[in-house]
Order: sequence, then structure tokens, then C-alpha cells
Amino acid sequence: MTFWIVQALNGLQLSMLLFLLSIGLTVIFGLMHFVNLAHGALYTLGAYAAVSAVAATGTYWGGFVFAPLAVAMAGVVLYTGLIRRMRKAGPMSQVLVTFGLIFVFLDLMRITWGDLALSIAEPTLFTGRSELLGVAYPTYRLFIIGLGLAVMLGLWVLLSRTQIGAMIRAGVDNDQMAACLGINVERLFFIVFCIGCALAGLAGAVAAPVLSVTPDMGTQILIPTLIVVVIGGLGSLKGAIAGSLMVGFIQTFGAVLAPQLASVSIYALLAAVLIFRPAGLFPAKA
Amino acid sequence: MFQQTRTKTITIVLLLAGMALYTGFAGFYGRELIIEAAYLVILAISLDLVAGYGGMISLCHGAIFGIGAYVFAVLTSMYDISPLIALPAAIVAGAIFGLFVGAVTSKTSGIFFIMTTLAFGQMVYVYVFENRALGGDDGLSGVERIDLSWLGLDMGNSMQFAWFSIVLAGLAYVVAAAVLRSGFGRTLVGIRSNEGRMRALGLPVRRYKAVAFAISGALAALAGTIAAQQTMFVSPQMMGWMMSGEALVIVILGGLGTLVGPAVGAVLFVFLQHEVSELTRYWHMIVGIVLILVVVLGNRGAYGQIEHMIMHRRRPVAPAKSSLEAASEQEESHA
Repeated sequence: MTFWIVQALNGLQLSMLLFLLSIGLTVIFGLMHFVNLAHGALYTLGAYAAVSAVAATGTYWGGFVFAPLAVAMAGVVLYTGLIRRMRKAGPMSQVLVTFGLIFVFLDLMRITWGDLALSIAEPTLFTGRSELLGVAYPTYRLFIIGLGLAVMLGLWVLLSRTQIGAMIRAGVDNDQMAACLGINVERLFFIVFCIGCALAGLAGAVAAPVLSVTPDMGTQILIPTLIVVVIGGLGSLKGAIAGSLMVGFIQTFGAVLAPQLASVSIYALLAAVLIFRPAGLFPAKA
Repeated sequence: MFQQTRTKTITIVLLLAGMALYTGFAGFYGRELIIEAAYLVILAISLDLVAGYGGMISLCHGAIFGIGAYVFAVLTSMYDISPLIALPAAIVAGAIFGLFVGAVTSKTSGIFFIMTTLAFGQMVYVYVFENRALGGDDGLSGVERIDLSWLGLDMGNSMQFAWFSIVLAGLAYVVAAAVLRSGFGRTLVGIRSNEGRMRALGLPVRRYKAVAFAISGALAALAGTIAAQQTMFVSPQMMGWMMSGEALVIVILGGLGTLVGPAVGAVLFVFLQHEVSELTRYWHMIVGIVLILVVVLGNRGAYGQIEHMIMHRRRPVAPAKSSLEAASEQEESHA
């Protein structure tokens, strides 16, 4: 029993990390029809920004606050410099440009922070283990789960209960119609892009104490994130939640129950979804 | 539509002759570079066949390349089968995988096509990476080179092996050009330009796409067998999605939808990588910046730009549209 609870918590923790990454990607994708392969690089940037901020401030929370801001700033630069002019280009040009960005980020981070794996300590508030459902589980990982759930709730409220949320939903559904109704879709894109970047930065900061911070951590997590986005359906919050839970749990339980099949089964799931339900399980557009 | 213009013929002949000539003068390291360039030429040509002429931007060509390499490696190193049989077997395996991916993905387009091919490619990569029987992440060693002593050739000699690779690269180009010049190839280009119209004409569009992917897969697998023979070693690294991305980068830098361009791109890529790596450790950043600039500015690639200038001089009124723009428009019209 303990085994199942621990693995379920592990799966949940991975799912939350994937959720933080995929929600930004999926809304950018759904709203702007923009394929941002560099999203993983922004996550890495977040992790490194957190490392530097922790070193400067001496506390984990310095990195926790600074990383999303820093990555959002990088997002502003990217958007004004490159993304805006790529919006009208086809998916192939977008894939290529953001693939180029991966290379640029990879080397920029190697130049700035070096090749060696860095890490930061868990915040003192969440060190050690806690009792939950009769098992001792690392407190910091529980914090990740809680944070993921909080962000999920926050985004749900934002998207379904506020005016800007309604505008975003309108933009995902039909951007031209939304523009006709007087919504500044261009500015909406910009805001969503920055929020997506900030969440990627947050994911980086949250992952930094658990995983080691290396220049290629973004390329490793990019593919699972894209899988989450595509399985769930582009642009949908519900899809991102369902997708990250599926991928997180399959990866975790697969790794302990059937290591041979675990990773392959995720790609098989993706291929099956793409063939039978090409728009994903919960498409944002009806 | 594909035309084997004089510019194309001259360029490919000069390129391959130049490589062969360089092999004669270069040292061991230079010959290794030529071999690498030769198999990347084949991989780039195979990718351009589907991406440039079929409008199918594949992100699984690295995996097909790897399948070719692994089938060849497993047959020669684990089952002691003659490379003369393993080579065609690897090509057939690549074609079958290509046919499968092509058939399954033929109803998707645009970004969904890209994602599906990515998924299939990664599936193969992960399977090999975690399969201890295939050597897992350590790879497999003990791959044999093909025995052509009955032709009086010694494949153990790096110069002769380089020449052999160049000949195969030339053959791959001839095959691809022949396919594109045939009725099949013209139909394929027609599907890229307007899939709906081709379907309305009563053509089995999905079958065409699948077969095109199979032909491309056969060529990509051929490239893989050369890579496996060069180092006599295969590892999962050669089939990950970064490999597919690199192949796409080569095609774009050379000129998508020109067939010769990707071949030029492959040679440029290998030699630039070698030159730049001696100056700086940050070769990837240079590639990234160049790639972004090529896409943002012209979209034509090195050879595409030259061909455009030549065509433009002859027919100044001809509306010039780069193949990438055309491909993007086509994708959008299907989105």
C-alpha cells in the first residue's frame, strides 16, 4: 500500500511540473497558433535564474520570485524581437525559428553558467519529510503538488471567472471574431505569452532543488511537455490538466512496473490520440 | 514542379567531384569528414523529397536514419550476416517504417503532421535507448563494413570507403531526381500544391504520400548504414529528435525543395561545423543564429538563393516565391 501511495505522489508531483510547463505552451499554441519549441529553454532559463538569485539573496524564495520575472522579461524581448513577426508564418517556419532559439539558448546558458550541473537547496520551510496517508514523503515534493494545484485553481478562476479570461477564451475560439468585437487580440497575445513564460520560469525554479540544473534540462522535458499539450488538446486548461496527469502517472508507474514499456507507451498513447482524435482529448474549440 | 535544370546538374556533379577530389588529398580526418558529409547528403536528399516536394515536414528522419544503422549493425554484429545482405535489409526496413509512418500520418497536416512524426520517431528512439538487447544507451559495436573485395575495393581503407560513400550519395540523388521526374513525383508535387484538387481528380492522395514517405525512408536508412559502417558503431544518439532537427536544419540552410540545395547544405554543414568548432566551443549558437536569419530573411537557403538569382535574371517578371513560403501557405490552407 505504501508503495502505491508513494508512487501516486511521485506521479502527481511530476504531473504538476508538467502542468506548469504545458499550460503556458498550450495557451500560446491555442491562442496564437504558435509553436514554441523554445519553451523548454525558457524553463531552463528559469532554473538558472533561480540558482543565481538564490546565490545573491541567500534564500530559496529569492529565486522563487525572481525566476518567473526574469523569464517573463526574456519573453518580452523574444516577443517583440522575433515571435511577433513569426506569427503569420507557417508552422514550419515557427518550428525552425524556435528550434534555432533552442540552440542559441543552449549555448548562452553554457557561456553564462557553465556545463556543470548546478543545484539549489530546498527552502528551510519545506525540508525533511512529512506524514501523509501513513507514508513519510519529502515535504518539498508535497509543496510542488500543492503549488501545482494552486496554479491550476488560479488559472481556472482567471479563465472562467474574469473578463480577461473570457477574452482569452474568445481569442482561442475565434481570434478574428474577437478582434471584431473590439478586443485587442495582439495585446492579449502578448500578455498570454508573458504569463506562459513566467509559468515556465516558475517551473524551472520549482524543479531546481529536485532535479540538477543543466543546460539541456529543457530539451529533455520539452518532448513530454509537447505530448501533454497534444494529448490534452491545444489551448485548453482541462486538456493540459488531463494530459499532464496521464503523462505523469504513466511515466512514474511505468518506470517501476514495466520499465521496458514505460516510455514507449507514452509515445504510443500520443500516436493513438493523434490518429483517432487529432484535436486532442479536450479541444478548446468545440 | 521538379526540373533537373543545368544549374542543378552542374552543382551536384561539381559537389560530388569536389568531395572525391578532396578525399584524394585530405588526411585521415578529412576523409572522415567527407564520409560524414556523404551520408548527410543522402539524409538531406531523402528529407527534401518529402518535406520540399511532398510538403511533409518530417521530424522522424533521424529515427529512420537510426533504424537503417541499427538493422545493419544488429545483422552484421549479432547474427554474423554478410553486410551485402544486411545493407538491402536495412534499406527495406527503413522503407517499411516509412510506409507505416506515411500511411498513418497521411490524413494529418501542418503542425499535427510534424507532431505525429515526432512521436513515432521518439518512440523508436526510446525503444532502442531502453532495450538492453540492442545495447541500450551504450550502443552496439563490432559493426562490419561491406566487403567489396570482389570488385577489387578495400573498404577498410578510409579513402576507398569515402569514395564508396560519395558514389552512394550520387546514386541517392539520381534515384530521388528520377522519382521526382516521373509521373509519381509530379503527382506528389501536385498534392503539395493543392491536395483537395488532386483528390478531386480521383487520385489516391494518401497512398501517394505513404509511398513517397517509404521511398524517402529507404534513402534515409541507406544513409544510416553508411554512418554505422564509418565508425563501426551505432548508438541511440544518432536517432533522437535532435538528429531529425539537424537534418531539417541542413535542408533549410541548403534550400528546401531544390534537391541539390540540401546536398550542398550537408557538405557546408559538416565543414562549417569543423571550422567553427576549432574557433569556438559554441558551434550550436552560430547554427541557431544562422537558421533564424535564413528563415526570417529569405527562406531560400544557400542554393535556393543562388538559383533564385539565376532564374530571376533570366525571367525578371517571374513571380518569385520561395518554396518555404509556398509550403507554409499550403499548410495554412489545410489547417
